[in-house]
Amino acid sequence: MRRCRGKSPGKVLCGEVKQGYQVVVIGGGHAGVEAAIAASAIGCRTVLITPSIKKIALMSCNPAMGGIAKGTLVREIDGLGGAAAESADKTALQFRMLNMKKGPAVWGPRVQTDVLEYCLAQKRNLQKAGVRIIQGMVEKLEGHNSSIEGVLLSDGRKVEAGAFVLATGTFLNGMLHRGKAAWPGGRRGDVSAIALERDIRERMFHVKRFKTGTSPRVVRKTIDSKFLEEQISHDLSFRFSWSSKSGVKNKENCWLTRTTGATEKIVKESLKHSPLYSGRIKGKGPRYCPSFEDKVTKFPDRTGHPIHLEPMGENSRVMYLNGLSTSLPEEIQEKIVRSLPGFENAIISAYGYSVEYSCFETGEFDNSLRLKRTDNLYVAGQILGTSGYEEAAATGLLAGANAARNILGMTKIVPERMSSYLGVMVDDLVTIGTDEPYRLFSSRSENRLNLRQDNADRRVFSLACRMGTLSEEKKEAYARRNKIYNSLRKEISAKRIHGKPLEDICRRPEISPENIGRMVGFDAEEINEKEILSTAVLDIKYAGYVKRAENRYKVRMRYGEASLSSVEDYDEIQTISIEARESLNRRRPKNISEAESIPAVRQADIDALVLHLMKERVSRET
Amino acid sequence: MEQQSELIVALATPETVSAISLVRLSGKGASKTVEMLMKLKPGRLTGRKRAVGNLAGIDHLVAIAWPRGKSYTGEEMVDLMCHGSPGTARRIIEELEKNGARIALPGEFTRRAWINGRISALDVLTLFERFKGNGRQEKQKNLSEELKELKSEMEGLIEFSEDHEVSGEEKINVLLKELKNKAATLVINVRNAEILPRVFLMGPVNAGKSTLFNKLIGEEVVVVSSTPGTTRDGAVRTVTISGRNVEICDTAGYGGEELDAKALEIVMGSMKRSDRIVWMDPKCFTPLKHLTEKYDVLKVCSLADRKENYLKTEWLPVSSVSGQGIDEVIEFITKTERESPSWRLERMIELFAEAIKASESEDIALAAEIVGEIFREAEEPEKCGDAVERALERFCVGK
Repeated sequence: MRRCRGKSPGKVLCGEVKQGYQVVVIGGGHAGVEAAIAASAIGCRTVLITPSIKKIALMSCNPAMGGIAKGTLVREIDGLGGAAAESADKTALQFRMLNMKKGPAVWGPRVQTDVLEYCLAQKRNLQKAGVRIIQGMVEKLEGHNSSIEGVLLSDGRKVEAGAFVLATGTFLNGMLHRGKAAWPGGRRGDVSAIALERDIRERMFHVKRFKTGTSPRVVRKTIDSKFLEEQISHDLSFRFSWSSKSGVKNKENCWLTRTTGATEKIVKESLKHSPLYSGRIKGKGPRYCPSFEDKVTKFPDRTGHPIHLEPMGENSRVMYLNGLSTSLPEEIQEKIVRSLPGFENAIISAYGYSVEYSCFETGEFDNSLRLKRTDNLYVAGQILGTSGYEEAAATGLLAGANAARNILGMTKIVPERMSSYLGVMVDDLVTIGTDEPYRLFSSRSENRLNLRQDNADRRVFSLACRMGTLSEEKKEAYARRNKIYNSLRKEISAKRIHGKPLEDICRRPEISPENIGRMVGFDAEEINEKEILSTAVLDIKYAGYVKRAENRYKVRMRYGEASLSSVEDYDEIQTISIEARESLNRRRPKNISEAESIPAVRQADIDALVLHLMKERVSRET
Repeated sequence: MEQQSELIVALATPETVSAISLVRLSGKGASKTVEMLMKLKPGRLTGRKRAVGNLAGIDHLVAIAWPRGKSYTGEEMVDLMCHGSPGTARRIIEELEKNGARIALPGEFTRRAWINGRISALDVLTLFERFKGNGRQEKQKNLSEELKELKSEMEGLIEFSEDHEVSGEEKINVLLKELKNKAATLVINVRNAEILPRVFLMGPVNAGKSTLFNKLIGEEVVVVSSTPGTTRDGAVRTVTISGRNVEICDTAGYGGEELDAKALEIVMGSMKRSDRIVWMDPKCFTPLKHLTEKYDVLKVCSLADRKENYLKTEWLPVSSVSGQGIDEVIEFITKTERESPSWRLERMIELFAEAIKASESEDIALAAEIVGEIFREAEEPEKCGDAVERALERFCVGK
């Protein structure tokens, strides 16, 4: 690999940087890739700068895409013209539909992926989109905050552009921890963007520290698989992308093992060596993706925590131990792994570690993901405070699209909270904020019955058209699907069975889409048609609830104008958090929407306030 | 806001001779007023405090102060425990009235607790049931608390069961059924405690109103005669029909002498919108548009056993002699009123049934949405306001 060292050799070896770019994306992870593709799709000359071309769209943690709410988000990305879904389909090793017994609204499609193949697929997508890639480390932003003019690389090169997307993931002053050892790095084997973080701090942006971690990887042939439970694939002919012609193929299986009493004992005895518990890591970690140390501390009596073994690729020699994220010293990690049944002789190929990194404080960015104090600097992925590939990719797409639209003089695009998980996530990050890495949950949405994976394309189509990220080809394909959907809906609403409207029958819980399909003679064979049938039936089934949820949301939005002048003392409203009461008493907002803009006031507090105002009205009327 | 924090006072224990009586004072300045009357240092009764002393020379008593947010009403509150004679308590209340307090309305303390978010609408209904039903209440968790637990159980199952491999679908079903049964018991109790709106038996003279009245209450209290216009003053009875308390009013006939018309006018003037009317006319003739627009009216074709009837489809044939149509009349009289406490609860039970169905067909997400609706039924003042107000009307002063 060619390397650029120093100023003058850099010029010779890597050549002049061609100028005339419109969008620069800093970071080649899941957020950066989608940002660059979106910006390019809108019609901007786009360049992506990454410290390591080989690791573009690398899955640094577990080799999987999707999950509950996350899988739905991946399909939204596809509906918005993003690339992650197609690449996940192409490189999938195993498919599972999570939550199969909990209702179609919360089904969570997830695939295990071939990590290296995924990198290649996404790199091809970048090239297909016409994105230039520069290998290099950004050290500094150039220009005033209000208008960033360019970025300066460590080798002295400068790249100028009209708009920028920061998608640095865990690299922004990344600090890796394992046992007592701590060293700067963005990820194992990668450098940390220390200078860039300093520049950002000097520009007076508020940053906070978050933490995340990953598990050890084990050499496959050193594991005795007869002690493991095989996790079979679900054969549902599923695919994330509506452009994928057939369902994903199952090529590999996963396995399950459980920690033994010995495992927990080793961890408990070694906690003093953990950087998490010795106080060396101050950053806040995700509660919902805890390190194994956390699990043992929080549930001291529990034993037999499940550990999933996931192959890093097809016929990969390395297995990922999902559920065993740890930053304990190497010799203890070895002891832990060898305490698992079937792992007595296991060899660790890469040790787990924690990474602490900088991200922006809530309030620094607006709902188009632009840093408020700049005109043209956008942020996406983990530096927004998110966690997860899917969350990163989706915010990347939005940031890239808005950066491109900014240069082309087009209006900003803000996704709707009621119609997509992307909208939920952006709204949460901007209005509520997060004090731990933000992960999507289905319950974060108040319109969960509508935010399903089967109808993701329908929900985001108008958003995609406004954004300008969808290719003509995909638009035409959507139009074809939409036609089938509409005629099917028409047929269902016209039909009566034994005098009863078929729509009423759709609402019966025990009725499946296939039943309805048979009743109207809709013979779905092709994968798209099957899905359209389910979408049509589920849309009818949940229509009443969805409408009520949307009305409640409208009422809440209407309350934005509701005056708070009648509230003398917020301490009297016990349903509001103490933190919020203090801020409200200090700031004295005029109305609900002003109250919403106060950082310490959460959505739950706003709901409580609205409820209080309503009760007050009732009490005045009686 | 103004009205809400207004200082209110009431005797919270029965007005009789007892060991101790409790006078409850709630609202802005409750502590200050008592401090002044007991000649305590200002601020002595701020927070959760207790003071013993003489109140305005009336009685030696114990004052217990509750800070805002910690009291029953959620407001600043003081409980005065005085010697248990009605006279003493009355004098204390009078003294407090002189110093700016006003006598509380029935259920006003509880209303404030509800408005201040101390208790939910469902809690008010539960309280109402406990309060009205004299039976022993076994100690039970609050229904609204249990709903909250169920909801979080469901959310956990949806978000985390794959990670932690918990299978809890059966548990959710069991919990849902338990809660439904509890709600059903609550409905029965609330329904028994409820007094239904009044039912007026009206119609032209000699339509058989008094006969039906007697039939319904099961004894002859009204003089029945075939001379038109026998019932002049009307009669009112509260009776229990199929487990429900109903107030039935017999009225003077319509279209009789001048005296009858006057009596009817008086009746009409005293009617509330929630009242029901059983209009009886053997000829099915009377135009009732002005009544049906305003009230819930059951059109009865009375004396159905006689030959000269002109039956019309929308009129219910009834005969007090043969018993024809009586069941339908009873159904009309005892049907649950819209927006009454038990009607609200019945709606909740329907939702429970829907949630159970959804959960049994492997749709926990839908079941969770429905439980959310039950929540909103219980919590949103716009939905429950009427039911809560109805329940509160039946509370006594001081509760």
